[in-house]
Amino acid sequence: MLVLALRSVRQRPGRFLATLLSAFLGAAIVMAFNSLHDTAGAPGVDAVSSETLRTAAGVVGGYGTLLVFFAVASALTVNVRQRAAELELLRCSGATPGQLKRMVVGEAVAVALVGTAAAVLPAVLGGRLLVELFQDTGQVARSVDHSFGAVALSSGVGVTLVASAGAALLAVRRVTRGRRTVRRRPVFAWAALAAGAVAASSTFAFSATDEMLMAFPAQGAILLSVGFALMAPKLLTGVLGRLALGGASGWLAVRNLRRRAGELSGILMALILFTAVSTATLTMQAVESDEVAASGTVKSVAAKNLETLNYTVVGIIVVFVCVMLVNSLYAATTYRGREFGQQRLAGATPGQVLGVVGVEGLVLTVVGLLFGTAAALAGIVPFTVVRSDAVLPGQLVGVWVAVAAVGAAATVGTSLFTARRVLRTPAVRAVGATA
Amino acid sequence: MVRNRARHDPRTEPAAEALRLVKVTKSYGAAENAVTALDGVTLGLARGTFTAVMGPSGSGKSTLLQCAAGLERPDAGIVRVDGTELTGAGETDLTKFRRGRVGFVFQQYNLLETLTVAQNTVLPLKLAGRRVDRRRATEILTAVGLGDRLGHRPDQLSGGQRQRVAIARALVAEPRVIFADEPTGALDTRSARDVLALLREAVRAHGRTVVMVTHDPVAASWADSVLFLADGRLAGRMDAPTADTVAERLAHLGDDAPVGV
Repeated sequence: MLVLALRSVRQRPGRFLATLLSAFLGAAIVMAFNSLHDTAGAPGVDAVSSETLRTAAGVVGGYGTLLVFFAVASALTVNVRQRAAELELLRCSGATPGQLKRMVVGEAVAVALVGTAAAVLPAVLGGRLLVELFQDTGQVARSVDHSFGAVALSSGVGVTLVASAGAALLAVRRVTRGRRTVRRRPVFAWAALAAGAVAASSTFAFSATDEMLMAFPAQGAILLSVGFALMAPKLLTGVLGRLALGGASGWLAVRNLRRRAGELSGILMALILFTAVSTATLTMQAVESDEVAASGTVKSVAAKNLETLNYTVVGIIVVFVCVMLVNSLYAATTYRGREFGQQRLAGATPGQVLGVVGVEGLVLTVVGLLFGTAAALAGIVPFTVVRSDAVLPGQLVGVWVAVAAVGAAATVGTSLFTARRVLRTPAVRAVGATA
Repeated sequence: MVRNRARHDPRTEPAAEALRLVKVTKSYGAAENAVTALDGVTLGLARGTFTAVMGPSGSGKSTLLQCAAGLERPDAGIVRVDGTELTGAGETDLTKFRRGRVGFVFQQYNLLETLTVAQNTVLPLKLAGRRVDRRRATEILTAVGLGDRLGHRPDQLSGGQRQRVAIARALVAEPRVIFADEPTGALDTRSARDVLALLREAVRAHGRTVVMVTHDPVAASWADSVLFLADGRLAGRMDAPTADTVAERLAHLGDDAPVGV
């Protein structure tokens, strides 16, 4: 089975591109940040520098691991679902579920190894860049040299392999079991919402200059967005129940979305989390920096660390969510060739089909932005009230526009681009291909 | 349930000849290993007729249907549906040409899974931006025996029921020609008979023109006449067919063809 796995990777490298990209990005980030542990552990590094390096490595390393897992998992789930016919054929040819599992996990591990190997050089350069960045802001002493050692390498290989193998197991189990309806318990969603509300409102217990001030509203916004994300299918059906769009494309789009709300909730989840985390973090950081500048004081090393970390974490989340969104939407749209063919045979022009896809993407983006922004505001408002006596910070508009633009471009752009490619197949052939 | 077509369709009266093909040629593949699917086919079908197109696999019958229906553009030759010649280049032009002129019934039904029976039936009207007369759609769905299934989705219906929805969808748009590609190919004999009866009814009662591609002599025997196709060329015609005469003719279709092509 392992031979078969390797052969199937070699024959169709294109299919594994998304998995490879996720593994590569994940390994690069994890290794770049964990090399800070190596750097801090080198002899002759002073306490402040070491503290800075270790905090950055710890925080981002943790986030990175989680993100690698989700990104690889989403890429692999898509990959396995696309190959349902091939897996079914193997099962009919006498492959046991265990053998199928070993094949898919074997493929994932092979791809992860390639991705990690390719990520070593970028990680070395990235780690060096990070140290220089910290040196430029005076957070790390000039005398410290970047080193890339055992911690970086072992954590990079370990995290990527474990995440890939685990994600592959989950993906193949979801397919071989055949039951795709995952019942999410509403308890978790409500618990996340409640915890988020508590965290956000406990911001008021702090004073304006407290160092911990940003932690609670940020956690609150993240928890609220997790709560909303868990409720994504329900939120989507709720909004769609009230939505009536004109035109044949709009009419069809709303009906499609209503039927596919369950499938699309993954995309909506990613959008909500992305909007909330990036809007909340970037806005609060901008407010904080402006307040410090206005008061004429110089930022402490700890405050600077926090700033760097905030930007890095948001950057990583943006990259990963974009990869996830683009990959899942690309796969989901490619899968709809037959449906598009049927629409065209019923009299839809290619423009009308693209219209349906565009409206669907737009509705998803708007719903995602709506709830993501709500979660972000729940954190931002308490923070600005305490920190600067304003209710809504002026920095919000710029940040929000940028976040919304990235989200909309990833969602609507990918859908339309893929749909255009799918529409190149003549309608009759598109309908017959999977019949 | 039969209404005067003119009340629903503001355009000019239909032409006497519903479909005309003149020297239509179509081949697939690159130059050196191109396969000629249609080789200069010329034919004309009068309005209000039910014609079956038969031939062995690879005889070009599906290509004939796709070219005649404006789904594919022929390499050479003229296609005229309801007196209007098929021109224009892009798929958008072809789609607009098909709207109101042709309707389809496919072996695989091609209903949209996300829409109910009633929504599927009015979809062509919605896409064409035409007025949706729900009462008329319900009338036609009742006539094909699905009056109590309006809110069902395709996956809740049997094959025969789905094909009847497809026929209702083709009738509601009031096209000049209905093209049916193996409409009974996936059905049991009883459902097949229902579907064929409905297609004949569309011709007799509604005055539509139906062109049906099939490989089944029994299905072909429901038509007014049968056109035989072999190697991309017309190989004869039979009026008032029966299942036996069609099968007999089909069995000897290759007899007079040149040997060793």
